Amino acid sequence: MVLTALTTAARRNTADRSSVLVNIVFYLIVATVLSALWRAAAEANGGEIVGYSMVAVTWYALAAEAATVSLNMRMIEVVCDDIASGAVAVELLRPASVLGLRISWAVGAALPRLGVCCLTAAVLGPIIAGPPTSAVGAALALPALALAITCNLVAQHAVASVAFWTRDVRAIWFVYQKIVFVLGGMILPLQVLPDALERVAMVLPFMAMAYVPSRLASGSVEPWLLGLQVVWLVALLGVARVAFGAGERRLQVVGG
Amino acid sequence: MSETVIATRALSKTFRTRGRTVEAVRDITFEVERGERLAYIGPNGAGKSTSIKILTGILHPTDGDAHVLGHVPWRERKQLTTRIGTLFGQRSQLWFELTPRQSFRMLAAIYRLDAGAAERRVAELGELLDADDLFDVPARTHSLGQRMRCELAACLLHEPEIVFLDEPTIGLDLLAKQRFRELLVRLNRDAGVTIFLTSHDVADIEHVARRAIVINHGSVIADSDVASMRRTLLSRKLIEVTFADDVPAPELSGVTVLAHSGATLELAVDTDVRSVRDVLDDVLGSRRVVDITVLDPPLEEVIAEIYQS
Repeated sequence: MVLTALTTAARRNTADRSSVLVNIVFYLIVATVLSALWRAAAEANGGEIVGYSMVAVTWYALAAEAATVSLNMRMIEVVCDDIASGAVAVELLRPASVLGLRISWAVGAALPRLGVCCLTAAVLGPIIAGPPTSAVGAALALPALALAITCNLVAQHAVASVAFWTRDVRAIWFVYQKIVFVLGGMILPLQVLPDALERVAMVLPFMAMAYVPSRLASGSVEPWLLGLQVVWLVALLGVARVAFGAGERRLQVVGG
Repeated sequence: MSETVIATRALSKTFRTRGRTVEAVRDITFEVERGERLAYIGPNGAGKSTSIKILTGILHPTDGDAHVLGHVPWRERKQLTTRIGTLFGQRSQLWFELTPRQSFRMLAAIYRLDAGAAERRVAELGELLDADDLFDVPARTHSLGQRMRCELAACLLHEPEIVFLDEPTIGLDLLAKQRFRELLVRLNRDAGVTIFLTSHDVADIEHVARRAIVINHGSVIADSDVASMRRTLLSRKLIEVTFADDVPAPELSGVTVLAHSGATLELAVDTDVRSVRDVLDDVLGSRRVVDITVLDPPLEEVIAEIYQS
């Protein structure tokens, strides 16, 4: 069931050519602007910033934006709307896990977008900065990116389960997005943060959602980071399962 | 031999919202036999959807007991879902961005159907529902009538023994409604599927159901076969007579003149006051009659009367 959902969603998203094109253009704009900003910052700092060279920080930005742009960042709102409208209640009438099916579908939809972003980065990166500083690091970044978007989507479902108790989750969505952007390393390497905040960010699951693949893409060959992502993924799946399961039980008692 | 497939006993559901207690379903007891076509009707807020949600396992009752195909729905929902089908007129089980055929493949995986058997079932359903040409067009481009045929196919894919339909014809045009009703009857007749239908459309009840359970304020207020419901629940008959010559309007106790135009009379008879035979004797007398019809009142009127009572 998981595999069918993954492949169906992936095929559906690959077939939608206009969406693929929009994805490429959006990624090009965001990745170019952000990497230019970080290169400028590195250049002003003598060609290096918090240990990242100009080439490394470019690949960091390219990977971080791939992890961001591949996702439907409004997933929380979609899940919340479906809980509020009763669509989730109808999904309970299938002999399958609502959460499992939804996450599989979301990951399947995100993977082709991630592939497009990676191909775009493979062309754009050498043009604007040069090849990655480590081929091994770049290769490790690919599975790390897939794990990163999966962690993020699972976390979004866990957060969205709040909608089983309260209808308006816009505030929670807003806070979640900002936390992932900053503590997840989506717009800046975590080393840029003040020491205390960096230490906090390093022990939170958000770092698995952008920082890890970006760190690997920047040339740091640290394979253990993939293991850390897997640990966070399992933990997040557990949290999402408990939260969504509690929400489903509430739905069965108080109605939708 | 008849087999009970749905049995409820003193089923109740109470919702508590903002300090208020609402009894959505109160002490409902009934049984449904395999192969029945049942209409479960009532005004808005009567408890129809709540009952369906309890019987399909997506809502826990506050009190009482229910068995559907031997399963307690809210405890054995996953097992039950493989044996029942559900169709909610205002909720889709198709993925809008996919073609129905792609959605069927997803559903086949969810229901763990063998891929080859699922393909054959889709072909059968395409033929049964005359919908084969709709299966390869994205669901978002379908008209509502086309979508509902595909929804029904999705609901029947795993060969359910009971199909719960919650207002399935809502929003359909006249022809699509007629076609949909015919499909439900054929499905019941040919495949023996038990039909459990809620609808506000009296024609759905008349054309699909053999038996109707009427609920209001959460309680069952009537339970009988549709034909006798019309005959016995209203002590009213309608008589339409056309005479050869003009006649005066009769003035009889228990008789209301609904229409009078020259030689034509339309009368409503309160059979608690006066029998139809008495009325006919008095009205016809020795006059020459061209045409005469004695009718039960429309089902819509019967149901409205039941709701009001």
